[in-house]
Amino acid sequence: MKIRPDIVQVYREVHSWVGILCSLFLFVAFYAGSISMFEQPLQVWLTPAPSLPQPVELADTPQLLQKAFAEYPDASSHYTVVVNPDNARPARLMWPQDPTHRGHGPQDYVLAALSPDGELHTLVSRPSEIPFFIDQLHEQIGLPLPHTAARYTMGGVAVGYFLALVSGVIAFLPALKKMLFALRFGSATRKVWLDLHNLVGVFSLPFHFIIAATAVVFAFHEPIFALQGKLFQQGQPVAHGPAQQHGHAGDRSKGNGTRTVSFEGQMPPQAILVELQKQAPGFVADTLEYTTQSNRGKSRTTLRITGHDERYPTRGASNGFAVVDPASGKVLSADYLPGHQSAGFAALTAFVALHFGSYGGLPVRWGYYCLGLGGAFLFYTGCRLWIIARQKREQQAGNPQTRATWLLSCLTTGCITGCITGIAILLLCAPFWPLGGTYAQASLVYYTVFLLCMSLAFLLRENQRDPLLFCVAGCANIAIVPAVLIAMVEGRAILPSLGVGMVALVLGCFLLRSVKRSTCRLSA
Amino acid sequence: MTDLPLTNKQWLAKLVAGIVPGIMFSFGCMAIVGLLCGTAGEPRTASAQFLMWLAVLVWLGVMGSCFLFRSGLRAWVVLGGAAMLVWGLFEILAKVTTA
Repeated sequence: MKIRPDIVQVYREVHSWVGILCSLFLFVAFYAGSISMFEQPLQVWLTPAPSLPQPVELADTPQLLQKAFAEYPDASSHYTVVVNPDNARPARLMWPQDPTHRGHGPQDYVLAALSPDGELHTLVSRPSEIPFFIDQLHEQIGLPLPHTAARYTMGGVAVGYFLALVSGVIAFLPALKKMLFALRFGSATRKVWLDLHNLVGVFSLPFHFIIAATAVVFAFHEPIFALQGKLFQQGQPVAHGPAQQHGHAGDRSKGNGTRTVSFEGQMPPQAILVELQKQAPGFVADTLEYTTQSNRGKSRTTLRITGHDERYPTRGASNGFAVVDPASGKVLSADYLPGHQSAGFAALTAFVALHFGSYGGLPVRWGYYCLGLGGAFLFYTGCRLWIIARQKREQQAGNPQTRATWLLSCLTTGCITGCITGIAILLLCAPFWPLGGTYAQASLVYYTVFLLCMSLAFLLRENQRDPLLFCVAGCANIAIVPAVLIAMVEGRAILPSLGVGMVALVLGCFLLRSVKRSTCRLSA
Repeated sequence: MTDLPLTNKQWLAKLVAGIVPGIMFSFGCMAIVGLLCGTAGEPRTASAQFLMWLAVLVWLGVMGSCFLFRSGLRAWVVLGGAAMLVWGLFEILAKVTTA
């Protein structure tokens, strides 16, 4: 392919500057994001089982509802029936303790169960917040900022990431044919990094373009929708009522006071699921969420059934939903029901699902985990290349290392090892924290470890910095293995946690091995 | 056309041109397409979501190519002109469709 050499040069410069500005943020986002592919299983693993009687059979749910709402009438305006209770959602019936709660993430839920003699037991609890914290690291590119500010910063970084991809492709295209499969191991360090960077970059390019574009959309969709509202809704009354029935949880009417919700005419949950199964075979329901809004004396109950179908992509990170008539079990809105969407919504869902990896089940999630780690590695090699190129130039000119080069080497090693070590220590501590850890505990531990690694990176001498800090990161990962085993012996962890231990072990060994190899190369 | 090689000397002006008039241009495109297909601007409809994607993708395209302008001034003139053009067109179309 022929591109004018001055254009290639322009894009090469853009690539190195945008890349260096964004790469460390992107490393954190990708590393945390690859772990948050498993947010739900991690939450089930880390949340201790509550001290409640066994959930009642699904068929007996109406009895549970009656007893619960006789005691807590307020709860009937918004509650969730869980189809398959697990540790993260441990009761058949649960409702938010604070119905005005805004924002996403785990919150306090009142869990209700019946003892064998039919007595109502309730418990206030929230699932482990460690997986949510890791997901927030991913969404906020590791910045402890308020949510909105962090989101716009993330959007800016995502645009930079997109620019880096475009410029990287253009800069690399002329050499594509002869360099693609070249892996010059054993030659100069710089060439090894360059070949790895190009190889990983080219082969995960579609994934990276999708992630970049969707990240920009996630960051800026709200102002764009606000603008659309201003442009296209002039003079039209804003639709209320039926059009908003599958709104966000935040749209719930607040502070309606006590009211009685009648269950007359409502189908019991199990019958609704049977009815839904007829209309959408293959859809596996997870929860039934009932919301009652009263408007001018009339109350209307909407039912949203979330679930998944492994054959189809889902709109959410792990599920889609149907809006269902609670009286007949008829599907009212299939806009986000996997496999039953209109062509338009299916296309929109596909864009988003390509970011979340929410299609194809577990194999795709593992694929995304590897692609995410590959992305993190790509940004690391990019930083390394930048540093090595500068060091070489400075050496050739006979100058000592400039402050900028030193600063970037410290930042790169500190940030990367800080992120890896911080997350490893979180997973190390989480099984031993009561309730599986809160967001505050997680922030404290993660940012302390992160800052420690960062300050070590600045304090250590050049030849000690990388070996020592990568050793720390590797050892922290390997230490997860005994922690998981101890937790299992104490009965705090379940069998799948061995998977976490295995992955951490492989990652830790890889880090230690890379230290050994690089010290060999330095001393050689 | 001069044959001076392209450089990054005026990168800041080109970048800001990609951001400010670039965003206005992409929103203008969204506005025209939205008007022509008669969207209601309700975020839960498929049309509104497609338009949002359109705006983002057009803007990303502009950002990816803004360094190709010969100078910062040219970038501002072309992108600013394009933005004014699409918004002017939108105003006219809005008048026509409501009349």
